[in-house]
Amino acid sequence: MSRIELVDLRKEYGNVVAVKAMDLTIEDGEFIVFVGPSGCGKTTTLRMIAGFEDPTNGEIRIDGTVVNEKEPGDRDLGMVFQSHALFPHKNVADNIAFGLRMKKVPQDEQAAKVKEVSELVRITHLLGKMPAQCSGGESQRIALARTLVTEPSNFLLDEPLSSLDAKLRRELRAECDRLHDELQKTFIYVTHDQEEAMTLADRIIVMNQGEIVQQGTPMEIYSDPVSYFVADFFGNPAMNLIDGEFVKNGDSLEFKSAHFDIPLPAKFANATPGKGTLGIRPENVGIGANSGGATIEREVELVEPLGKDTLLYFETEESRPFVAVVEGTEDVKRHASVTINFPDDAIFLFGANGDRIR
Amino acid sequence: MAMTKSQRRISYAAFRYLVLTFWLLVVAFPIFWMVSTSFKPDREWFAWPPVYISENATLQNYLAVWGDVTTHSVDEQTGEIKTYAQSLQRPWQALGNSALISVIATTLSVLFGSVLAYGVSRYQILSEGRMFQLLMLRMVPPIVLVAPISIWYSALGLLDTILGLVMLYFLTTLPYAVWMSKSFIDEVPREMEQAAEILGASRWRTIWEVVLPLVRSGLVATFLFILILTWSEYLLALLLSKAQIVTLPVELSKYQGSTEGRVYGRQAALSVGITLPLIVVGMIIRKHLARGFSFGMVRR
Repeated sequence: MSRIELVDLRKEYGNVVAVKAMDLTIEDGEFIVFVGPSGCGKTTTLRMIAGFEDPTNGEIRIDGTVVNEKEPGDRDLGMVFQSHALFPHKNVADNIAFGLRMKKVPQDEQAAKVKEVSELVRITHLLGKMPAQCSGGESQRIALARTLVTEPSNFLLDEPLSSLDAKLRRELRAECDRLHDELQKTFIYVTHDQEEAMTLADRIIVMNQGEIVQQGTPMEIYSDPVSYFVADFFGNPAMNLIDGEFVKNGDSLEFKSAHFDIPLPAKFANATPGKGTLGIRPENVGIGANSGGATIEREVELVEPLGKDTLLYFETEESRPFVAVVEGTEDVKRHASVTINFPDDAIFLFGANGDRIR
Repeated sequence: MAMTKSQRRISYAAFRYLVLTFWLLVVAFPIFWMVSTSFKPDREWFAWPPVYISENATLQNYLAVWGDVTTHSVDEQTGEIKTYAQSLQRPWQALGNSALISVIATTLSVLFGSVLAYGVSRYQILSEGRMFQLLMLRMVPPIVLVAPISIWYSALGLLDTILGLVMLYFLTTLPYAVWMSKSFIDEVPREMEQAAEILGASRWRTIWEVVLPLVRSGLVATFLFILILTWSEYLLALLLSKAQIVTLPVELSKYQGSTEGRVYGRQAALSVGITLPLIVVGMIIRKHLARGFSFGMVRR
């Protein structure tokens, strides 16, 4: 049983506030992912939990005990760094055994544990090598093993995969998932990659400018973003976000922009008129078929068949073209004119301040 | 006619080797001349045309300087007996003084310098401005320091003592030690120390097991660099100690006769003796030097 509580946690560097009054409880065995753009305070938060940064204010509790004054090594934590931080002058086995040696585990027990954990992350063939002889992916596995071997209750992972190439990243992502499943320990994972967050997390903590802007399961975050920022951050291809204006038209509200005007669904009838943004996920954009929402006619400017799906681009002269995803390799030709449909329940509205309008 | 790519590469390489060979000659010639002269009998010291490699090679110079044999020599052709001014102290004693002073001062300098450098690198205990000021200490001409220091030293009874020179060498080389070892410590990623810490290693344990092994080569290179500085220091040693404590460079200046002028053969033999220990030390630690001077041994 290990619960981590952050109470009114704050970190300032001079005049810069890196983390603003954060309150968060992380339950035992949860896979938590802190996600946000660089400089949002996610790594600072993780480093405060680890004990490498002293909070300016607030408390960190592990199992109900305030650990602010405890050394990193006394907090029952394991940490994997972005740079893997293996000791280059020790071979792989010695790297893994380091934590056991520090905890004065008997020699024969050390050997058994090193063997066990290297089987778990599949690196037994590397034990005699030096870190410099191992590839990036192998190094990160070794770093994982070095952390796992001391059996901490909580694992902190600071962008562990961001220095790897895409294929390795997917592979090790699956590995992290499997380890979490097997160990049932708390994982706190920091990344700027929304895809990693979506695939790994039990709960995603979205951060921006030192604050938690939203937290929830990956699907909650994806399907119910609280702000423009969150809507924009999650999803690939990203949500179409069109700046424009909400205008009162009799009983209902209408959206006007440089590119198109559409009537808005009835549920928004009482929203305040004014400047704002309309959002719709590319996969929710209807092409051809009419599912009851507003429609516009547009010429397809670019077609990108991806095999399983096809991406259609409109308004490509804009910095953010309007994108629609259609299943299969649907037979839409470039320059063909198509009907774009905005299903009522797929439309998100955001006010001028970025907050969601419901 | 335009050269092909490979012709250009070859001619560039040829030019490069030509320049390097020339520079090698410039650098190596004095050393060659020193060694060569040390084996010459006295009539060849000033000979014209110069004798490059003596056909009458002799150990006479070495025996006169390092052996306790004689300070006289007999000219083989005229039978005349020449007497050379004998230095106040024997070279062996100077060697002992030099070794003691430079090894202690260098050890202190590297020890304190690296600890200071660790603090600067990890805890910013000195600002960049302060670090630069530290380096500026070395830009002060030593002669400026000598007068005030000799007054202080005479008041403190440190003139002409080993302690006096050790202190001075330690302090004047400390900036180098800080700067050099800092550059090596900076190369060790902080995350590596943090990884050790979170695995339960204490701060000292982390420094001992993680930082030190990674900067060892660098510290050895720093050690040799400072050892060379202190070993060959002349001005301060000459002015702050003369009668009791004589170091090798000072001893070297004393090989000068009142009637014969400089006794080059003897000086050369002594010079070889001064240079040799440094070469031996360099050979012993050459593995570290190659690594230490090439930096970047830590793969990120």
